[in-house]
Amino acid sequence: MKIKKGFVLRTVCGENVIVGEGLDAINFGRMLSLNETAAFLWKKAMEYGDFTADSLADALCQEYDVDQAQALNDVKETLDNLTKLGVIE
Amino acid sequence: MREQYYFVAEHLFCVEADDGILAQMANYEPFRTEQSKDALFSLTVTDGGPVQYVEELSQDEEGQDIVCGHTEQGDAVFEFRFGGKTAGWLVCSAGYREGTLYLSGFQSKAAVDNALMIQFAMASATLNTVLFHAAAVILDGKGYMFLGKSGTGKSTHARLWLQNIPGTELMNDDNPAVRIKTDGTAVVYGTPWSGKTPCYRNICAPIGGIVLLSQAPYNKIVSLKGIGAYAAMVPSISGKRWDARIADGLHETENALATYIPVWHLDCLPDADAAHLCKQTIAL
Repeated sequence: MKIKKGFVLRTVCGENVIVGEGLDAINFGRMLSLNETAAFLWKKAMEYGDFTADSLADALCQEYDVDQAQALNDVKETLDNLTKLGVIE
Repeated sequence: MREQYYFVAEHLFCVEADDGILAQMANYEPFRTEQSKDALFSLTVTDGGPVQYVEELSQDEEGQDIVCGHTEQGDAVFEFRFGGKTAGWLVCSAGYREGTLYLSGFQSKAAVDNALMIQFAMASATLNTVLFHAAAVILDGKGYMFLGKSGTGKSTHARLWLQNIPGTELMNDDNPAVRIKTDGTAVVYGTPWSGKTPCYRNICAPIGGIVLLSQAPYNKIVSLKGIGAYAAMVPSISGKRWDARIADGLHETENALATYIPVWHLDCLPDADAAHLCKQTIAL
């Protein structure tokens, strides 16, 4: 999977927000507020370019004290939401 | 061709054009200066075009189109059309510091205004400055800005303050500039661009509040914080956000405003009560 072109993570008044700024996302018309875990996953996804639920779950396990199965569940849920919102594909 | 210098929101810029064009720039007179060192940007106005470019995005607002794109060399291009007919092409290089406007001969003055607004917004974006689409009034030494989509009644609400709140003056009716100073103060400035209202005042004031307006069958005002305050402002700020350098600059200013300036949302009727409620809430 990958992040769709034009979406950027910004810190707004201390909170993590995804905004559409690139040409392909300029008419997105809304902002998505991310919790700390989702923001961590977004940054990892940016870093990897091409990512899978497994590669992000691995990253989550390294950063936080969670077991692999739980991490994979959380990652899949977050990716499902982001897919529905149209910011990853 | 002759050069003239102008100072807007404490940014210096230069316009080089023939006397016929310069003579039409009466709205810039209050901003004219003899200073000519270290200009932020310069615009050369000449006859010419069409300019060949690849289109990136077209923005349509109130019967006028601005088409953004780039030349083969990578220079940014903005084409200005009124009622479908092209007035001119602005070609920018060196990070928007150098611009040339090629006039078609149709609506020359409007093309010069558009070109200067764009170059001003782009060149100053990385210097803690943003150009708002808003009406701004001044009361007791503080500036208050009214935002909203086209047709919401920004000018109407500003006029209601002038009619009902003694001591209120109009600062700008369409495009005030805002700058975060080095000491952190946010200041709103009058500019040579004021829409249909000829209000070209070279004055400024620290910002007392920013109000997003919506039409409603009642008057009600609520405070916006954090992301809500940020989201209220972003659509009213001019910029080319798909240029990452500009987007970063605008974000920095918008984030500072959302953090330190009181932002409000006013549901309102076009009546005196709306102005009184707004004033009593935001101007203590």
